[in-house]
Amino acid sequence: MADKRCSLQEAIQMIQNDDMITFSGFVIWRRPMAAIYEMLRQGKKGLHLVEVNSGTHAELLIGAGAVSIWESCWIGHELYGKVPHCLDRKMRERSVIVEDYSHQHMLYRMAAGAMGIPYLPTWASRGTDILNPEYDMLEKSGLRNGANERIPAKKFDFAQDPFYNEGEIIHVPAVRPRVCIVHAQQVGEEGTIRITGQTYSDEQAIKASELVIVLAEEIVPESYLREEPERNLIPGYLVDAIVELPWGAHPTGAYGYYDVDGPFIREFAAASKTDEGFATWADEWVYGVKDHEEYLNKLGVSRLEKLRANSYRKYSTKVKRGTR
Amino acid sequence: MADKQYAKPGEYSIVDMLAVASAREVKDEEVVFAGTGLPMLAIMLAQQLSAPNSKLIYEAGTIDSKGDSLPSSVGDPRCVTKASVASGLFDVFNQLQRGKVDLAYLGGAEIDKYGNVNTTVIGDYLTPSMRFPGSGGNPDINSLARRTVFIMVQEKRRFKEQVDYITSPGWMVKKWPEGTLVHRREAYGKKFLGGPSAVITNMAVFRFNEEIGTMYVDTLHPGVTREQLQENTGFTLDFSHCKGETEPPTYEELRILRDVVDPEGIFLPPIK
Repeated sequence: MADKRCSLQEAIQMIQNDDMITFSGFVIWRRPMAAIYEMLRQGKKGLHLVEVNSGTHAELLIGAGAVSIWESCWIGHELYGKVPHCLDRKMRERSVIVEDYSHQHMLYRMAAGAMGIPYLPTWASRGTDILNPEYDMLEKSGLRNGANERIPAKKFDFAQDPFYNEGEIIHVPAVRPRVCIVHAQQVGEEGTIRITGQTYSDEQAIKASELVIVLAEEIVPESYLREEPERNLIPGYLVDAIVELPWGAHPTGAYGYYDVDGPFIREFAAASKTDEGFATWADEWVYGVKDHEEYLNKLGVSRLEKLRANSYRKYSTKVKRGTR
Repeated sequence: MADKQYAKPGEYSIVDMLAVASAREVKDEEVVFAGTGLPMLAIMLAQQLSAPNSKLIYEAGTIDSKGDSLPSSVGDPRCVTKASVASGLFDVFNQLQRGKVDLAYLGGAEIDKYGNVNTTVIGDYLTPSMRFPGSGGNPDINSLARRTVFIMVQEKRRFKEQVDYITSPGWMVKKWPEGTLVHRREAYGKKFLGGPSAVITNMAVFRFNEEIGTMYVDTLHPGVTREQLQENTGFTLDFSHCKGETEPPTYEELRILRDVVDPEGIFLPPIK
């Protein structure tokens, strides 16, 4: 078997401009941030982001001008910045096409991709403007003409339930990303993925995608992961590239390894209010550091140690979170 | 509680009032779906007091957790502590669609008199003046839970005759692809389970006339007048079913909120 281990730079070189791409995690948890920084350093452009939900990582890509289409349901930084300043700005200046779905719609779209079927039915979000055909932005942009095989012919379809006569049901089209970048706690050298804590929508995102890149806190022996296969999420043959990258999800959090770096995200969210603020921030934290190691050195040991999770509790007991 | 000692105005904050009023919506044994923030305070307070056997599902994928540290978001490792199941979104959203969720708490930027909520854009969708985070699970949960409770800020610009974009469906909704306004029962047909049950704001508690689908004032929070409430609302309020004043927090509720639920002050404001 070919060795899938590679450097972060090599893994990110597998991503092409204009790729359709998705990520692991949930808003500000277990996002493959080191890969995002490297994508910006390598100057990726024209990306089509398709995500169950979006967060800090996507704001970075959008703010840097790397994204041309964003399809998802929510974007922000939770407690650390609710307004998606980058998406707001780029959407209003019309440099990013925004296609809104609901959480369940995106989840079922990704699940359909993972199941190898063209669509899934759902009852969710009937009666909302998400279904308003006037707001089908890929259609309005002329992108549902079949030229791009990853863009479905319709945003939604409606059909009568043919089996139980339960009425009209919504069909949501499958998502078929070319690339999924995952941040996992552990991966075996053949690619078996173990994710601990909540798995969010990682399984659907990974299985829907053609090319899977995994950043992991640790590469561990396959034989170790095979002692308890019930704890593993993904078999190795679905994985294409493996990068061992401790702290690779910083500033987002990783169950059992470290907490969210709230102040870091808050500073980024505040800086991202303007193009100038974004550029200054990115010059310091993305383009001003050569690689992940330099980034960690810049953060410093004491900052990282404070975030490190207690081995029993799986979160940091040293972070001051509230006002007391 | 046989002997309820109510706190006096000035002894509690608006956040305390919102958390307590929201907690009172939970019935024991219910399955409750919650997002980040005030809903967490509400359900955990209810579990300590009136609904010890209610089960909590967090949107990111944990079920019935029994942690001793308040999560700062639904994706937080603290949600996993002593949970019944740590799974993912596919599991919990499937359960929602299966009809297993009794009550959910939601928020929003704008609401209209039918309980339709906007969390997507301000202004015209194609040329908005402001982009919000988007729908998230709001419309799914509001579609498929038996009851939903909205926790909102009472402002004229947020309580509107019509919202700019229906992110989450109230009692009178749009039936697509035509876009005609129909009653929720018609839009959901055999899949109708319920709908918005209350809106709790910093000034009042609202409920709905489910037949005609409109919001009415249920109770006003202590110290709030009908005139002040109308002043902060963009449509004409229906006071015809108003029961009077919202019960203020009790000292016991405040103690549990501050000492047990959120001792770190993650969502509760600092103590002066």
